[in-house]
Amino acid sequence: MSEPAISVVSLDKSFPPTRSGWRAFLQPFEKPTVLALSGVSFEVQAGEALALLGVNGAGKSTLLRILATLLLPTRGSARIAGKDAARDARAVRRNLGYHAGTDHGFYARLTGRENLRFFGQLNHLSGSAANLRIAQLAEQFQLADILDRQARTLSTGTIQRLSLARALLHQPRVLLLDEPTRSLDAIAAMDFRRFLKSQILRRGDTSLLFASHTLPEVELLADRIAIIDGGRLLACDTLAALKLRTGAATLEEVFLRLTGHRPHSSEAVLPA
Amino acid sequence: MIRLLRELWLFFRRDLSIARTYRISFLLEIIEALFGTAMFYYVGRFVDSPQLRQALPQGGTYFAFSLVGFVFLDYMNASLDTFDRSLEEARNSGTLEHLLVTQTSLPVILAGSALYPFAATTLRIGVYLAWGALLFGFPLQSANWLTVAAVLLATLLAFSGLGILSASYLLLFKRGNPAKWFMLGLSSVAGGMLFPVSILPDWLQFLARFNPVTYALEAMRAALLAGAGFSAVWRPLAVLLLFAAILLPAAMAVFSWALRRTKITGTLTHT
Repeated sequence: MSEPAISVVSLDKSFPPTRSGWRAFLQPFEKPTVLALSGVSFEVQAGEALALLGVNGAGKSTLLRILATLLLPTRGSARIAGKDAARDARAVRRNLGYHAGTDHGFYARLTGRENLRFFGQLNHLSGSAANLRIAQLAEQFQLADILDRQARTLSTGTIQRLSLARALLHQPRVLLLDEPTRSLDAIAAMDFRRFLKSQILRRGDTSLLFASHTLPEVELLADRIAIIDGGRLLACDTLAALKLRTGAATLEEVFLRLTGHRPHSSEAVLPA
Repeated sequence: MIRLLRELWLFFRRDLSIARTYRISFLLEIIEALFGTAMFYYVGRFVDSPQLRQALPQGGTYFAFSLVGFVFLDYMNASLDTFDRSLEEARNSGTLEHLLVTQTSLPVILAGSALYPFAATTLRIGVYLAWGALLFGFPLQSANWLTVAAVLLATLLAFSGLGILSASYLLLFKRGNPAKWFMLGLSSVAGGMLFPVSILPDWLQFLARFNPVTYALEAMRAALLAGAGFSAVWRPLAVLLLFAAILLPAAMAVFSWALRRTKITGTLTHT
């Protein structure tokens, strides 16, 4: 069997406790005692899409940020394409694209093209290679018409597509998406999911790990689903296997049965 | 090495492209420089006397002496401010996270982000001096430009260490620039900006010896106002390079440690 695209083994992450007042000054030197992830292990194979499903504060973003080399784990290992995110961060970054799902993160006064070229070249694409990739991605992501407009004039949905294009410029093996439809309206979110499915996942050459609160998004995009709660990985399997294991009929029921959470009202059915 | 230069150039080009979208601001800075230069000229005329001219190290007018001190303050300000300002801007605009997941390292990101501000400050200083020479008789014709360039480079290296220390502080504590506060405070009294160090009491003159600004201003005034060559300014130049040799590696080590701490505490991109 070939090397997994992502491999996470016995991963723990703790943060120092949040302090206020003058004690906040000591925070950078405090011992990390607040547990965010505990003993998390899973693998993502090449071309596979794995969803991280959990409530706010479950540890999804922490996990993605460790893989993106933005955080150091307390214990355990996180590898991308066989490279350790803590010890070999630059090699890891060569193989990953990261999209945080926010509607900022671009230079507002630069055009879409200038932004993409800048980030592409920081990922060691030559000027001509960057231009070629921008042209390819602009066509694929329907960005050609807005590429020469300043980023500050673009809509949130367009910024999201631009951000996804940025993550894919250097053709990474792994794509990490942190709540990619968080700041999109319902229609834009639907478009974005369809777009991810048809333009990236169908090609089968990029592995996807994404965090989401949105159950239809998870069902549409994920080959397998990892359910995280309180920093612990409760289950990681296909939707069919999760339903079988819990005796649930829907993903929503699977989630509620595994985590033990209960909706605050009869209408609150999503774990957001 | 070529890759490093290319990466640095990318940041310079980014900042130049952004600055080009604010063209009026450059025009306003040119006008501001005219008013600033005029102010120093009239203060100089007001206080100038034969005794004062004798007290100045290179002779000449108080206008020339104080203008060099003032424009140099701008340069020091840029050196101390640039690194943490670029870090803060990236954090606030949300680009820091995206810069950090590229294959370019954070020290290169910081150094690259400092290039355009340094170039813009050098240009602004040039505008001040040009106004001074064109309208108020600043003795630009006597400058030794090669020595001026060497002094600027040595100053930039010496102060950059302090700037990187400031950026480390900002990484950990999110606000404030203690290096700038300390250096500006110290230099306004014991650095020779607006009056010669020789008029200070002995203990302040002793303190001034540990301030890189003293050596930078001494060398800059000698090169700009008296046309001094390398042989005349080798001592302050050597001291500046010594400051750089100590401060730069120390600052980089502190910065690496601070970066690691923020990746442990999860506060790297916090504002």
